[in-house]
Amino acid sequence: MKSSKVFFIGGSQTDFERNWTKEGKNEIAILREVVEDGLRCSKISFDDISDLNKRNRVAIFVGNFIGELYVRQGHLGGLLTEVHSAFYGVPSARYEAACASSSVALDAAITKIRSGDYDLAIVIGWELMKTVDSKTGGDYLGYAALREKEAEGIEFPFPKLFGKLASELLKRSPLNKELFLQDLAHISNKNYQNAKRNRNSQTRKWFMSEEHASDRGSKTNPFVGELLSVTDCSQVTDGAAMVVLASERFVEGSFPNENFPFVKGWGHRVAPMSFEKKMDESRSSKYVLPWTRQAIIDAYGRAKLSFEDMNVFETHDCFTSSEYAALSAFGFCIPGEEHRVLEEGLVEFKGAKPINPSGGLIGCGHPVGGTGTRMFLDVAKQVAGIAEGYQVRNCDNGIMLNIGGSATSNYVFIIGR
Amino acid sequence: MIEMKIKTVTILGANGTMGSNVSGIFASFGNAKVYMVSRIIEDSFEAKKKAALSVRSEAIQRNLIPKGYEDLSECINESDLIFESVSEDFSVKEKIIQKIKGCLQTEPLIATGSSGLSIQKLSSLLPERLKSRFMGIHFYNPPYNLPACEVIPSEYTDDQVLEATKNYLSGVLFRKVIQVKDSPAFLGNRIGFFFINKAMIFAEKYKAEGGTDYIDAILGPFSGRSMPPLVTSNFVGLDVHKAIVDNVFLNSHDPAIKSFKFPAYGDELIASGCLGRKSGGGLYKTITLENGKKEIHVYDIKDMKYRKRRKYFFPFSEKIVSLLKEGRYSDAIHGMINSDSPEAKICLEFLLEYICYSIYYSVELTGDYHASDDVMATGFNWIPPLALIDAMGGKDLFLDVLNNVQEVDQDLKECFVQLWSNIPSSKFDYRPFLKALN
Repeated sequence: MKSSKVFFIGGSQTDFERNWTKEGKNEIAILREVVEDGLRCSKISFDDISDLNKRNRVAIFVGNFIGELYVRQGHLGGLLTEVHSAFYGVPSARYEAACASSSVALDAAITKIRSGDYDLAIVIGWELMKTVDSKTGGDYLGYAALREKEAEGIEFPFPKLFGKLASELLKRSPLNKELFLQDLAHISNKNYQNAKRNRNSQTRKWFMSEEHASDRGSKTNPFVGELLSVTDCSQVTDGAAMVVLASERFVEGSFPNENFPFVKGWGHRVAPMSFEKKMDESRSSKYVLPWTRQAIIDAYGRAKLSFEDMNVFETHDCFTSSEYAALSAFGFCIPGEEHRVLEEGLVEFKGAKPINPSGGLIGCGHPVGGTGTRMFLDVAKQVAGIAEGYQVRNCDNGIMLNIGGSATSNYVFIIGR
Repeated sequence: MIEMKIKTVTILGANGTMGSNVSGIFASFGNAKVYMVSRIIEDSFEAKKKAALSVRSEAIQRNLIPKGYEDLSECINESDLIFESVSEDFSVKEKIIQKIKGCLQTEPLIATGSSGLSIQKLSSLLPERLKSRFMGIHFYNPPYNLPACEVIPSEYTDDQVLEATKNYLSGVLFRKVIQVKDSPAFLGNRIGFFFINKAMIFAEKYKAEGGTDYIDAILGPFSGRSMPPLVTSNFVGLDVHKAIVDNVFLNSHDPAIKSFKFPAYGDELIASGCLGRKSGGGLYKTITLENGKKEIHVYDIKDMKYRKRRKYFFPFSEKIVSLLKEGRYSDAIHGMINSDSPEAKICLEFLLEYICYSIYYSVELTGDYHASDDVMATGFNWIPPLALIDAMGGKDLFLDVLNNVQEVDQDLKECFVQLWSNIPSSKFDYRPFLKALN
């Protein structure tokens, strides 16, 4: 094997503002759109796919959390054959790890290219969540928790779990409650404002201010779990994202003059499933989520890079509390000093190390099974310099952290040039 | 870039739907202090709550200050912008502008929220020193969901003031700004009501087939709009609909002028108080049955009485919907183009005329081929005309289709064909607009 580099050659994201149920469209429609857009952007045709497939050099990796409930459809690898006949015979399978589902798909795709098994990998993450009302959807998401103990009979279990994370962070913080909540409101507002630059974000037309985000418990910003309100929380989203990964051999043959970003490092760690056990285990650690921190350290190590080398961050802000916890996990500060990072403006869009220039999950949207690929795509776009309105400056390396459940599955990828 | 700082705004007619919604926009995105002025101050207090809910944020209430007309002088002399949003009636607006003129000692920006009255004529009511700071700023309703915003200068409007206002509306209030020439109904309503009024005319032409609900079924969400055209008319009210098309019919030269003639049956409905949703019924009305269930009834033009709305079954639309459901847009569009059914032909005629009229009028009123896309997508939530050409396979294929459909108005076709060679691709994606719904 000549090289183990895995290149990003293109990708696509659907407009996360869209409600596919209101449009009357199904899972085949969203897959068709993301695939057609993603291949066009990657300059790969369906004929190219057919040619590669004759030599068994292409495969599809699908990330989806729980389509069986949301759209009553399983066997989601095979479903791609409904999109185009060029996919007949192409190896294709679905991967699952709750909200980190498409990171598992990415991991599998990267591994298969690195091993030399395939030259081209199409990775698609998607979820259609607006097929049911929010209460039913909240119940479905409870399957990502330790269901019997953490979700059964509980309305909206995840806001409550991440509300507990916020309470634990506050307990460990030198800040008083008011200042801590102000920091969380700042994170929410930052991500909403970032989303306004992203033409595919869910909330680009929504109004947000730090004052509104701080107006917790009001009719327009009700509490959802312990200290957290609606503005601390990502919203129910329909969406899909796709990335096309390729081997060095393929890039040399098909795109000899391109300087594509490539995968430099990865980390994957699984923490105890139960949130209570997570917190019990972390009592002896400085970090509230030690396995999240470890996944990031693993990725830095594999990439032979450090926090200082990272120019952009896409993190899993399913709630403001998870972005807050990620600050120390990435290495912005030691735990307990997150407020200083926020005060310095380092993570703002125009700061030296922006977090979630796309808007993140809170601003851009969170179609759970699609989030990993969406994050990967955004980091790769930043490195490639094709992020349009939300392009950050001087971006050589970027990192993404995608978590599943209450930070049970932790996936990290570093992409650079 | 010329910047404008708007710290304080006075909204007159703040108790109206647009007045309160626009107050919400200035107070939220603009973070401006907004004096909400109504004839009865209690109405301003009610409007304040509505304004906050319209932008989903009670926190903005600190920026909203209810006032009555007795406080007008104090409010407007402290304001950077005075925005009138009183009834769409020239004499009412005239009185308000006189009132503003009477107590204004400063030189703020002054705007009317008119949806189609002459900006030039309204401007002439102001003294010279204020004419240069006056323009039309037409928001679409509800502005939180529909960011389109037409800006209409008069011939006296200062260029720098105009530029700064446009920058403020787009950069601070996140509006999609479309600058248009002062012309009846401006751009969005001109195109929208060309289509809606033509649908009303066709409802009468096809009254034997069912009339209103028959035409709406032919022009359903699968054809590129969330709401069928005559449901839209019922929503805004026949009185408003008539005022818009009468203004165009009486005050403009237009290659499609006959499509703006308001039908006589509409006059009869208005005369009997059947305006639409706001009066309990118009082209449609909702009936509550004895068992408490609701049923939609439609005014049957042939029988001149209401009847239950029919569920029409058109093979062409069923096929389109089933293709759109799986995202097969090209197959769906060509299914309609190649269908021989009378309903498909009516649908196609409407879409072709919509494209021709929109683009012709867009260029006429703004000099920009994209302006009608901007206003129809972000003001009406309708498929933009250039995007519809893209959906049909591009301008060459579109021209072939247009040349093969004899029903399209010849004058309109000729106006469009002159522009054809310069037609660009749309900046909008057509896919979200084509709903897989009947």
